[in-house]
Amino acid sequence: MPSAHTERRLESQPAPVRNGREWPGEGSSRVPNWVYTDPDIFARETERIFGANDWLYVCLEAEIPNTGDFQRSQLGTREVVAVRAPDGNINVLLNSCAHRGMQFCTANHGSAKEFTCPYHQWTYDLTGKLLGLPFRRGYRGQGGMPDDFRPEAHGLQSLAVTCRHGVVFASFGAPNQSLETYLGPGMLGWFDRVFDGRELVVLGYMRQRIPSNWKLMFENIKDPYHASLLHVFLVTFGLFRLDQQSSVEMDETGRHAVLVSRRGAQQTNEATSQMRSFKQDFALHDPRLLDPVREFPGDATVVMQTLWPNLIVQQQSNTLAMRQIVPLDAHNFDLAWTFFGYADDTPEMRQRRLRQANLMGPAGLVSLDDSEAMLLTQNGLDGNDERSGIVEMGGRGVDNTPHMVTETAIRGFYQHYRSVMEL
Amino acid sequence: MIAAAPGVDATLALRARLADLYCAYDDVLNDGDLERWPSMFIEAGVYRVTPRENHERGLPIAVIYCESRAMLEDRVVALRETALYAPRIVRRITSGVCLRAIAEDGLHLTANFALLETMPNQPSGLFLCGRTQDRVVEDQGVLRFAERLCIYDSTIIPASLVYPI
Repeated sequence: MPSAHTERRLESQPAPVRNGREWPGEGSSRVPNWVYTDPDIFARETERIFGANDWLYVCLEAEIPNTGDFQRSQLGTREVVAVRAPDGNINVLLNSCAHRGMQFCTANHGSAKEFTCPYHQWTYDLTGKLLGLPFRRGYRGQGGMPDDFRPEAHGLQSLAVTCRHGVVFASFGAPNQSLETYLGPGMLGWFDRVFDGRELVVLGYMRQRIPSNWKLMFENIKDPYHASLLHVFLVTFGLFRLDQQSSVEMDETGRHAVLVSRRGAQQTNEATSQMRSFKQDFALHDPRLLDPVREFPGDATVVMQTLWPNLIVQQQSNTLAMRQIVPLDAHNFDLAWTFFGYADDTPEMRQRRLRQANLMGPAGLVSLDDSEAMLLTQNGLDGNDERSGIVEMGGRGVDNTPHMVTETAIRGFYQHYRSVMEL
Repeated sequence: MIAAAPGVDATLALRARLADLYCAYDDVLNDGDLERWPSMFIEAGVYRVTPRENHERGLPIAVIYCESRAMLEDRVVALRETALYAPRIVRRITSGVCLRAIAEDGLHLTANFALLETMPNQPSGLFLCGRTQDRVVEDQGVLRFAERLCIYDSTIIPASLVYPI
């Protein structure tokens, strides 16, 4: 007899959500605390957000340039291996043997001719096709697989894959939209600004495990309001401040967004007087730490793009990074940073990217504020499920704005989230 | 006491001075005396913290990358004046300091480190562990770090790396 749980899954019904979970009447200008704490909500997110038809960021093509090169990646709570096949195409394979489910690939990165599961030596080609298994025909007429065993029906699970300008995306479902349609024309334009077709070079990795719900990371990069108050370092040096010419833009669903800002001077004005964080007399001992150079068309100097459901594209002055969100459970996620540059960077630009990375990552002079803020936010949310957060800066709507004094992109995110989650 | 690798001929006096340097280094950071930390480096001192994965694959990004004593000072000012973080105690334990070579550009040493972190009202726990590759030189009669590369074993840092290794 299948359990009630199995039956529910078979009928594609949502995972159960506890009684009494009702979104506040104010709509997306409120976020109930239980979306950050409830394991049932997390189970539904795993299924509907990370396991459905959306395009999830996997890796950069530059990580696997040659045939056989592979890179492990985490999509939601599941692990995959992205590998370049002899035909040049990239396959994204579930890192779980078709036989007994063993994680067959344990290296983060490498090169392979084929994949063999160490448990019973089932062997797959680089497209995930099952090539063979020991003792399929038995030994001396004894044992073996049944005569009707069809190897072609037992390959590795292979995901839908799409690439754009060196960035690899995959989906566990059957996406009914191309990546370009999925992003929408506005977001695609910002994406192509960094990924303009030039060859990319991976500069290295940082990874941190943050004890908070994964959505707080997305909200953080959709919230320009905090950046001018929390990030003293950014504010003081004019790297990102809400009195500068800026904008918040979204796609038509509200799931993707971009914060755009232009660098300003370290000078006092009406806005900085409201920022206790602004320090006019703070100067660097070694100015090489902040020596940004304009390298993209247009006058934007910071563009932070959040792409539903697991990617932040960071262009903060000259640091470029993919920040991949890997949810672990309702209370923990990993943030995986892949820093990159362009193959045609000058040595000076390469060095500048390495220096400016001091602002980013788990020890970043700016990002440190965020990981700690998320940790402390989760501490304050836990145990207070009956309460809700207020998201009313800049009104209650989800319009694009030509300024930063707004939480519109958080509202846009939750508008889409609620429709996907049916909450 | 500092061990010398086979073939390295170091006097006991030099090894005692190096032992004092490593002891003082941990002492300064364990006591939270961040302002004194840059003075343990020469003016052109290089300090880097990087995961083992980047180091082994030759990938240049570092979690912390300071190219001068002044940059170390900037980091200290940022930690004191601009950064937000929950209070914590980080205790460093260094072991197996080994003098690998006495070269023209200075003394080359390696050591193991463990960082234990204690967050408020939480039990103490292992935060990071790994190995350092250091170059130490005599600077105005004092031994100081010309280079300190901290390579941590895990790919993952628990939450945030606030204080230096």
